[in-house]
Amino acid sequence: MVEAYAGLVVDLVAAFATFYLVAVGQSIVEKSGVLNLAIDGVFFLATGAAVYGAVSGLLGFKGPLVGTLVAGVIALIFGLFFNWITTVLPLSQGALGLSLMFVGYGLGIIIGYPARMKVGNLADYAYPADTTTALATLLAVVAFGVAAYFMLERTSLGAAIRACGENPHAAASMGVDIVKTRLIAGALGFLLIGIGSSFFPLMWLRGWDVKSYVLGYGWVAYTIALAAGRHILLLIPFSLVIGGLFRESVRLQAVLGIPVDLSKAVPYIAALIAMVFYSMTKLKKTLMPPSSLGKPFYREERTI
Amino acid sequence: MIAGILFYATILALMGRNPVEVIYALARSFVSPGIVKDFLILSMLGYALYVSFKGALFNIGGEGQFYIAAIGVIAITLSLMPWSPGQSTAKTILVIVLAVFVATLLGGLWGLLAGVFRGYAGIDEVPVTLLLNYVAYYTVDYLVYSIFRGRHTYGYIRTDEIPEAYRLNYYLPPRTSSGEGLLGSLSSLAYQFLREFALYYAWVIGLAVVALVVYFVMYRTRLGLLIRIHGSNSDYLRAIGVDVCRVAVATLALSGSLVGFTASLYVLGYLGRLPYPVEESTANYGYIAILVAWLAVLEYKLIPLAAYIVAALRDAGINLQVAQLGGTEQTFISIGLLLTVFTVVKVFTEYRIEVRHSG
Repeated sequence: MVEAYAGLVVDLVAAFATFYLVAVGQSIVEKSGVLNLAIDGVFFLATGAAVYGAVSGLLGFKGPLVGTLVAGVIALIFGLFFNWITTVLPLSQGALGLSLMFVGYGLGIIIGYPARMKVGNLADYAYPADTTTALATLLAVVAFGVAAYFMLERTSLGAAIRACGENPHAAASMGVDIVKTRLIAGALGFLLIGIGSSFFPLMWLRGWDVKSYVLGYGWVAYTIALAAGRHILLLIPFSLVIGGLFRESVRLQAVLGIPVDLSKAVPYIAALIAMVFYSMTKLKKTLMPPSSLGKPFYREERTI
Repeated sequence: MIAGILFYATILALMGRNPVEVIYALARSFVSPGIVKDFLILSMLGYALYVSFKGALFNIGGEGQFYIAAIGVIAITLSLMPWSPGQSTAKTILVIVLAVFVATLLGGLWGLLAGVFRGYAGIDEVPVTLLLNYVAYYTVDYLVYSIFRGRHTYGYIRTDEIPEAYRLNYYLPPRTSSGEGLLGSLSSLAYQFLREFALYYAWVIGLAVVALVVYFVMYRTRLGLLIRIHGSNSDYLRAIGVDVCRVAVATLALSGSLVGFTASLYVLGYLGRLPYPVEESTANYGYIAILVAWLAVLEYKLIPLAAYIVAALRDAGINLQVAQLGGTEQTFISIGLLLTVFTVVKVFTEYRIEVRHSG
């Protein structure tokens, strides 16, 4: 019985850590006004990078922590490029994001697949599946989240990031360097997206294959960020519940009789309901998307 | 386009692959009969999404509208009006027409749902349509797993095959002899194209219907005018007393219904059944069509050209695999990079960049 609960904790933490960090990263990026529709591609790219880092013996190091680090760095580079180009050029962020999503899928395979083929069982290179590791991860991930919350809500950098998302023209006239601020937001946000994504192959699945990309787990994290109104602390319960639904969909079927497929649809329906709820109540002010999200900085309004 | 291909070739060269070989494989795809199928489907979907994009409504819910419509075809052809031996031709035609109609309706309703969220709750259509894609996937999965689960599937979980009588294909016989030399090769290639077009004859008709409907609605009706103004200046519409919410709902419903119509032809003309889970075996047409509409720079006439380019790039992925120059990743990277470069370069055609030195 105790073992069963321990197993449940390990499973839930893996799902929570993955979704929470990716959703926090996504929220930071989008709070700065950059619409990131490349999320699923970056997610897959980072999982490939994590596998590469974990098994390749880069500079003589290997193992899950190296995988997480490599995933974070690769995502960070991707994010710097994305946030830079969407800020300095008045292009369609939605179209660029979706185009780069495909690039992310492709690069993920190129980076991850040869490394994956080198080893028999990826679980040997993954994080240990024990409660100590799970609890340490839980603490670290929540600490990351709380730190991100304070950065966004209590520091001048956070105020600048939020101002870039609400009204970059006004922010610029008050002395905020929009490019620099969005680069910082991109670096931090994508770093977290990369780290979170690395937990998917190295803690959750404890495996990886090229078909994983179709599963759209990056979009799940995107959904969680929307459902929680990009509020870093509110993301904690949302990530836990939605992550749990995904991780335990089979168990839910067994215990509650909810069909697996319908339980998978619940997060998306919940996100839709949550967004309607925010839009119709006082929460609109804090939880609705930033006013300038997805709008090119140099022109008033132009998306396709 | 050319900038994108050159950029892609450079990356391949950096990866140690021979870019000339890869570009050759890419180029060959542009004259491959294998692209006819994707070209027709992507053209139809490109027009469907053109409607909403023209109204500045970023419908990325094509995937959901596609599969919700597809399940309608399954319901009609396998469950509600199953084929029986000796069935009259009139009934067969009725079932096909009904299946197409129901699919168009379901796609439209799925689009309408997104429109209601967008119009009346004021939520951006990007997340809404995206979320509805997944709701559609899992709803279809549930239905395929339960109500529509096939009995003759060799143990696989999927729907049964749609009866041959309902399938919209015409098979031209393979050519037994072809002439010699360049002329012979060309005529053989032309025949292969003809066979593909004949095989998907219903899609050719479908494309003509979709293109005409879109042209008529967008450029000959009040709704089309409202959609176009919604795309350029929705405040103006509000100022003259137009119900902007209704325009958003109608736009997304129309876009969704055209996606649904396309989906019905796809199921009846190619897929023949629905797999489980659908999100793992989708061809991602709903997403790829976004790139088609975008690549066509929202120009009505350019949609088929954009569909042709994207279809060729998809086919190139297969050619590259055959030539052992790569796998699925090449399809992703070539399509992704091309569109990325296109999106970036497009800015420079719209803006003039001036470098000014002060003092």
